[in-house]
Amino acid sequence: MAVQLIADIRDYPWRSLFAGILPVHFQPKTTQIVPSASIAGNALTVVIAIMTFLACLTAGAVYMVNQSAEAWVKDISSEITIELDPVNTADIEKKMTLVSLFLAKQAGITHVKPMTAEDSAKLLEPWLGHSDALSALPIPRLIAVEIDRSNPPDIKAISEALSQNFEGVTLDDHRRWRAEIRTLTRSAALGGIAVLVLVAAATVAVIVSATRSAMASNREIIEVLHFVGANERFISREFERHFVGLGVRAGLVGAVSAGLVFLLLPFVIHVVGGGPVTATEMSRLVGTGELDLKGYLLCALVVFVVACLCMITSRVGVIRVLKSYA
Amino acid sequence: MIRFENVGLRYGNGPEILRDVSFHVLPGSFHFLTGPSGAGKTTLLRLLFMSLRPTRGLSFVFGENVSDLSAAGRAELRRRIGIVFQDFRLLDHLTTWENVALPLRVMGKEESDYREDVTDLLRWVGLGDRIDAYPEILSGGEKQRAAIARAVIGRPELLLADEPTGNVDPMIADRLLRLFVELNRLGTSVIIATHDYGLMDQLDAPRLVLYEGHLEVR
Repeated sequence: MAVQLIADIRDYPWRSLFAGILPVHFQPKTTQIVPSASIAGNALTVVIAIMTFLACLTAGAVYMVNQSAEAWVKDISSEITIELDPVNTADIEKKMTLVSLFLAKQAGITHVKPMTAEDSAKLLEPWLGHSDALSALPIPRLIAVEIDRSNPPDIKAISEALSQNFEGVTLDDHRRWRAEIRTLTRSAALGGIAVLVLVAAATVAVIVSATRSAMASNREIIEVLHFVGANERFISREFERHFVGLGVRAGLVGAVSAGLVFLLLPFVIHVVGGGPVTATEMSRLVGTGELDLKGYLLCALVVFVVACLCMITSRVGVIRVLKSYA
Repeated sequence: MIRFENVGLRYGNGPEILRDVSFHVLPGSFHFLTGPSGAGKTTLLRLLFMSLRPTRGLSFVFGENVSDLSAAGRAELRRRIGIVFQDFRLLDHLTTWENVALPLRVMGKEESDYREDVTDLLRWVGLGDRIDAYPEILSGGEKQRAAIARAVIGRPELLLADEPTGNVDPMIADRLLRLFVELNRLGTSVIIATHDYGLMDQLDAPRLVLYEGHLEVR
């Protein structure tokens, strides 16, 4: 099996395959036993380009959401928050100082930042608005604690020590948030995979149909190839060469279009009237809103997968039809 | 090389076109296949070429039972056979040269290895000035010669020809017959289906005569 596969790869007509990737007008005429004009060209190219465009948009968006979530998780993993309940506490400021001093002594904690009552009130402003009434409310006080990621503290021990030494003090290590972010990214990834599977299925269906049509319109050529001793593999290669070329060309158009969308997205949001708030919300969801090099490589991978789908589908399609002729 | 035993063939549920056909073709032999129109000559050639399978009986080509062969196995054997069809079967989008070179391309040979051979053969069959012409502008006789050149370019072990001189003038017909004889002298077995008695009379070769589906060797 492995030996056969190696022999197949060695004997594969790579030169003619690469010639097939060139635009039709630049392909050497003598290599075409099955003429390009006989393969459903423009409509199929447009459909595959659209499919690749959608696949690249999906893959790129999922990648950006994932990157943004990763960065967010990384940020909140470096911090824990201590919450002090102001109810039944005579001197909350003193308690803040004592808790801060206690925390600063713990191993693995690099920075302790007690937040003022105004800081806590500001956190509620998006929901309650700016009002002097906030100062009358028993708003919990917070202490932001940065931890050493290379030498993390024993969070559980600190939490227990806080509970034992101070009443109404709780520690939040953001585990629930991290779990929710991970659920969000997993959901986004699953949704993306579902879209990619649908796009792949649609691409396969289109190529199967195009292969059947190409074989029907080239039946005479197939018969002649049989007469001169061509086997199924030779005939299928003659067809798949066209489909791979078409897939790569259409895939590149789709991927470049998707890349342009990612590049121009901030500009488009600005043009359609999005202000700083929209930009902020976007950046919360998808980070900077731009693809990095890995993201663009992902789009290139989509083109490669589309080309492989074209190759495998057309080959299987041709061989199936040839078997039905026999 | 070829052995048919009680071979019968029918299309679908129709009557048998060939009945109890039995004959042997030895390596290096030369046969004419003849009979009236509709007697089944083309069908028998297609059986020999394995593009049809017998509905009964046994057929062996190059020692292989055709009924047991896979599609790949049949393709492998077809490379050892050259065939000339009555309707030429040239590919309209390829030049005469490319049509003739097609079997060598299928065999995976490099163009540089056969460029001269194809050109020489085309000159020999009188198509030296039609090398770059497309089939649609060739006359019937020219197409026939191109089809014959395509069938013989790979030096087949067996050559099957269906009315190969039907569309050419007597001078070219003589020339083509000489080509077949020359190939035969080099070891190729030749079976020519024809009802041109003038052609058959030029050679002292056994005749496979088909009549109403039965075959008789004379």
